[in-house]
Amino acid sequence: MTIHDPAARLRLLTSDVSTSRYLADMWARRDFVVALPMEELRSSHTNTLLGNIWHLGNPMLSVGVYYLVFGVGLRADRGIENYIMWLMVGVFAFHLTSRSVLGGATAISSNRGLMRSIRFPRALLPISVVISRLLTFGFELSVLAGVAVLTGEGISRRWLVLPLVLVVHTALNLGGAFIAARLNDAFRDVQQIIPFLFRLLLYVSGVIFPLERFLNADNEGQDLLRTVIAWNPMVRILDLYRWVFLGLPLDLASVAGTVVFCAAFLVVGFAFFRGAEWRYGRG
Amino acid sequence: MGDAVSAELSIRVRDLHVDYELFENRRAALRQRVATRTGTGRSYVHAVRGVSFDIFEGDAVGVIGSNGSGKSTLLSAIAGLLPITSGEVLVSDEPKLLGVGATLMPAATGYRNIRLGCMALGMSAAEVDERVDDIVEFTQLGEAINRPLRTYSSGMRARLHFAIATSVHPQILMIDEALAVGDRAFRKRSNQRIQAMLAEAGTLLLVTHSLGEIARQCTRVLWIEQGELRADGDPQETIDAYRSFSP
Repeated sequence: MTIHDPAARLRLLTSDVSTSRYLADMWARRDFVVALPMEELRSSHTNTLLGNIWHLGNPMLSVGVYYLVFGVGLRADRGIENYIMWLMVGVFAFHLTSRSVLGGATAISSNRGLMRSIRFPRALLPISVVISRLLTFGFELSVLAGVAVLTGEGISRRWLVLPLVLVVHTALNLGGAFIAARLNDAFRDVQQIIPFLFRLLLYVSGVIFPLERFLNADNEGQDLLRTVIAWNPMVRILDLYRWVFLGLPLDLASVAGTVVFCAAFLVVGFAFFRGAEWRYGRG
Repeated sequence: MGDAVSAELSIRVRDLHVDYELFENRRAALRQRVATRTGTGRSYVHAVRGVSFDIFEGDAVGVIGSNGSGKSTLLSAIAGLLPITSGEVLVSDEPKLLGVGATLMPAATGYRNIRLGCMALGMSAAEVDERVDDIVEFTQLGEAINRPLRTYSSGMRARLHFAIATSVHPQILMIDEALAVGDRAFRKRSNQRIQAMLAEAGTLLLVTHSLGEIARQCTRVLWIEQGELRADGDPQETIDAYRSFSP
């Protein structure tokens, strides 16, 4: 008689898997991670009168407000050739990041039902949020293309580089979404604070007026501001977009630095998110 | 285990403990977190306390016990949806859990939820295309399949969830009170599917307060009370013991 081990086929179910296994599990559900944001896009705004037009209406209204206050009112457009285009590029790209991070913050808490019934790598939730924001950014990009033609910038070969810019930008947004997801899962207060952090970040990112205006004079006590601007990845990301759409000068060394920074931010964010994988969806 | 020599194990649970940290469970605000650090202490709910059992392929196991005895927590822990505090859970295949609280996307239609649920279970879009018609057919929801999930009754939701969870032919199916809300016709069809699964060496874990249902469906019953395993054995004996405990 052979010795039979009835437990031979048993294995441990755990969220504590190797990174390569985790990534393989994520890859196996790649169709899910695209289908989920498509579904959100389909069902969001179904309760508003204008429906999906708000995906565009919202950033357009922001641009309108900034244009009136800073362009017409405070004359912040001095020295900028095509201010409306310059402003739109800044606002749209900046909003992509803020919406991705804010969406990432609620990615865990708003999908509790799904997590309670199905086991899958939880990192897919913030990723799908970032993809969903990227999909709506497509509308904004087409508006930017239209405005570029209307304001005489014309169609440029630089547009071909846009996918690469999007990759770098998305790496940054993913990193931010991962970090916000874990923090907000631990402390729900985080989602209340994030909008204010981004409002603050808006003013040191050169979204609605050029930062050089404040740094021209050799003022004392600007060290902090200079440091913030030097380390703020949004400044570099906006430089990339403005190079694509407006042909503004670009410093190649700083581009390389931005690529490295965004990639590192994604890796750190992912690791940080996974550190609490076992805790998500509890209770 | 004398007569079970040739049967393969499908679930092995060893000295399982599951705790909830109360504040963490409520997703505490920062204020509360700080308060716990500074002295009020943390409180735990010890939901499952040292449970051990083996379940073999082809077993249909009922789980009974009072409300709040830890049945649902036990099932969630086996399904890998809850972190365990200590002990060990081993399974032969990814268990599929059907619970009443499960919701997918309330604003999307039943049809869209089927597609999404199947993909979350690991199907590719192509596989979903292939099977979605069968799944829709099984739900027998008719026109309602194109209505948003939030308009569904609990019975209709149960049909949808059962159809999704069993579409992947799970080896281990765990049902937490999810079928109690189904109508007669659906109970009959879901039972047929469960029996077919058991015949193919599948395993069923069924939590329900309908003791008649347990007596009909199950070959073995676990009785959980206050997180501990009170009894484990023949359905009728265990049910009788439970009845005399909570008349």
